[in-house]
Amino acid sequence: MAIGVRKQTSDASGDARLSYARPLLRGVMLFFLLAFLLLWLKSYDERALMLAVIVPVIIYIGVQGIPRLFPADRLLLSLTNFLCALGVLVLYRLSPERGLQQAVNFGVGVAAMLICTVAVRYIRGWKGIVLLLVPASIGLLALPLLYGTEVYGAKNWVTIAGFGFQPSELVKLSLIVILSWLLSRRKVALSILVTGVCLGLLMLQKDLGTALLYYGVALLAIWAATDSGLLLALGCVGAGGAGVLGYRMFAHVKRRVAVWLNPWSDRQGSGYQIVQGLIAIANGGLFGTGLGLGNPGVIPASYNDYIFAVICHEFGVLFGIVVLLFFLALIMRGISIARQSDSVFHSLLALCCTALIGLQTFVIVGGNIKLIPLTGVTLPFISYGGTSLVSSMCLIGFLQGVAARNTAQLAEAEKRARFEEERP
Amino acid sequence: MKSLRANIWKIAILLTALFILLIAYGAYSLTTYGSRWFSTSANTYLRSAKQNVIPGDVQDVNGVTLLTANVAEDENGETTWSRVWPADQTLRQSVVHVLGDSQNNVSNGVEAFMANYLYGFEATFPERLGSFLSGQTRRGDSLTLTIDSALCRQITEWIAQDEALPDDVRGAVVVMNWQTGAVLAEMSFPSFDPLSSRSYRNDAGQPYFNRAIQGKYAPGSTFKIVTAAGILASPELRSQSFTCSGILRMDASGAHDITDAGTRLAEGQVVSHGQLDLQTAFRVSCNNAFAYAAWQLGDEQLKKTAQAFGFDDNFLFRDIVLENSAYPGADRSDWEIAMTGIGQSGLLLTPMHLCLIASAIANNGVMMEPRLLERAETAAGAERLHFTSAVYRTPLTDPDTIHSLRSYMYDVVNTAGGTGRAASLIGWRVCGKTGSAEIDGQENTNAWFTGFIDSEKAPYSVAILLEDVGGGGTYAAPLAQKIFKYLTAQVK
Repeated sequence: MAIGVRKQTSDASGDARLSYARPLLRGVMLFFLLAFLLLWLKSYDERALMLAVIVPVIIYIGVQGIPRLFPADRLLLSLTNFLCALGVLVLYRLSPERGLQQAVNFGVGVAAMLICTVAVRYIRGWKGIVLLLVPASIGLLALPLLYGTEVYGAKNWVTIAGFGFQPSELVKLSLIVILSWLLSRRKVALSILVTGVCLGLLMLQKDLGTALLYYGVALLAIWAATDSGLLLALGCVGAGGAGVLGYRMFAHVKRRVAVWLNPWSDRQGSGYQIVQGLIAIANGGLFGTGLGLGNPGVIPASYNDYIFAVICHEFGVLFGIVVLLFFLALIMRGISIARQSDSVFHSLLALCCTALIGLQTFVIVGGNIKLIPLTGVTLPFISYGGTSLVSSMCLIGFLQGVAARNTAQLAEAEKRARFEEERP
Repeated sequence: MKSLRANIWKIAILLTALFILLIAYGAYSLTTYGSRWFSTSANTYLRSAKQNVIPGDVQDVNGVTLLTANVAEDENGETTWSRVWPADQTLRQSVVHVLGDSQNNVSNGVEAFMANYLYGFEATFPERLGSFLSGQTRRGDSLTLTIDSALCRQITEWIAQDEALPDDVRGAVVVMNWQTGAVLAEMSFPSFDPLSSRSYRNDAGQPYFNRAIQGKYAPGSTFKIVTAAGILASPELRSQSFTCSGILRMDASGAHDITDAGTRLAEGQVVSHGQLDLQTAFRVSCNNAFAYAAWQLGDEQLKKTAQAFGFDDNFLFRDIVLENSAYPGADRSDWEIAMTGIGQSGLLLTPMHLCLIASAIANNGVMMEPRLLERAETAAGAERLHFTSAVYRTPLTDPDTIHSLRSYMYDVVNTAGGTGRAASLIGWRVCGKTGSAEIDGQENTNAWFTGFIDSEKAPYSVAILLEDVGGGGTYAAPLAQKIFKYLTAQVK
């Protein structure tokens, strides 16, 4: 059996990659060291000094140490570490308590990522897991409807034993696994049914942003797996129809669109958040007001939905673009991992993770800059929130697992090829 | 598997396209609207940053200081400042709408819209570093405006002294240089004194409102300049003659008659101009002829002409935040279209936009961008920015049309029977157009006059609006004459 050995781009084999990876790593560490030192100079709060040491060290260990113990993609690690650390930095600047909490969330996220990596790398029988995940997901999504608390108009929070979380963030992960597995087994109708039930439950919670993400990812995954232009067209028409119907039927959707079209007409009321976000970005200009020198606190939900506007405000629009390019690099890495996999399930899994991160970033950043109506989703890795960060890290974990599997497959193929050669 | 890999590529392209869209849209909206977002009164960052910078002075084009800062030290040794206005109250009232007040009662005055200069946001990094090292409070840039404050003061006095006008007259005056776009006066009445602005808060006349750039009004007969431009562009219509019987019946019922009500007539009386060509119709401002011609021209063509003059455009001038002018929407009755031809029926523009239209006729069909900023200077005396004129758009290119419009407007002021005779000035070619716009619920018409001096030695244009007083020829044109007289006296 002759297997074409495709050129390996993961770092496991490429030492050449390290030649620019190392200066990049040093630059990132220096960036965070200086940033936290600046914040310390502003407040003389020793917690900033502590983070100035800890964050670069964690980044170093994360990028250099983890690949030694676990099968991991170093580029993916560097990118996520940078984005997460940026979140800790910006949140610490907004409120030290939130920043420290986010640092803890980050640690939990890394652990979750490693678990997911190992799971995807080594689990072979997914059938039983998927059969368990389907009822679990639907049950989780139904929870907020029964016991939920309302936050910003959406009833999507659940508090169990004093520990609050968003089930929709966790179901995101299980839905991706379910979808990928069903589609890899060509169970298209079933996958549409499961997605439909989840979407219905999300609609009932009025969590439109997350529903939009589920829909987009499911549509892309179904199209990629079936290659059916008809389903894609139907999906797009359906989304458009649902949008028009929602606009006609629900006053709050109409209001949200009106606010998006002209937030300035009610800039002290319903348009306040969008207007303050735009003003904050304009205040920053190309180079920003400088870390700690702006007033990002005036934007409602600055630490969460509007964190991208805060970044543009204090670091400047150029830096905002760089952050977007970091996300884009992460997406490209995810795409290449998805393409390298020789299993449909793993390929789809990697694709869904990548598409989800990409779409979610687009939806929230687009809302911040008034390209599309604002929906309350988080900016992956950066926004404040344990559930959000952990679920984003799990997505990376899935990607890592698929990448590790790719590497192992490749090594095996190489070994086999060598064995064939050596045979007389 | 193969199609899956191919589709993954397509999704990669889609995601990349989305990110490029984000960056492109962000860059576009920030470069287009960024300065407007920045200077809005809702910007709390700007408000707090103002405390740490001593603002620059503002002077008019002749070097008269309009705003300066009084710097003091408080008991903690911190530098504080307060805005100082001229001692002359009439002068303060004449320029307060251009300058804006520190309480932000006036939107988009120089104090707010040019805060990036006045409060030092344009300072370069070495400048900021220099003031940081020296330990002194930073100073913003000083501005020289194109405004002629002495002229503004005169206009306030002329209006106050005019026996024919009520004391609390509402209106606006814009004076421009039609060659460069420099704004000499941008005034709104009634005005208020910035030093006691709170006491004006409940005034019925809304003194904070800047009618010159924020007030949207029916242009009335002044819009006939645009209608005429449309007619002149049509080879069939430009040479036809009209028969004015005094009443233009738009439908059989007679419910939509268009009369020549420039002067109010007793019940049943009718003014008729008889047989007349376009030039005469323009001079006597015949509603019948223009309504009929507009209907012949059609909504589409008239709209196109109006849009060439800037209607429906999103004005994004560098120095001035001008409200957009609106041409009415589609699907209208014949009567409505005919009424649009004489500047009624849903048409809305600002006095400054009207001044731009007249300026374009004067300037060979080229409309200049209105500008307020003559010069910006750093605290150290270095020049940050110098006035440059720029073309905003070119509504007219045909020399015949431009020449005809100019001679029509000349006739209005200088020929027997012209409605704008009161604006004429011996020794100068004054061109203009009057307007008397009927407004629902108002006893009198809004008086309009717009015009210019057809001379490169005194390239000035005006737009005058006086609300609820009567005919434009009677009330607004005389003020234009005074303004032109004042300006030409300085030339000789």
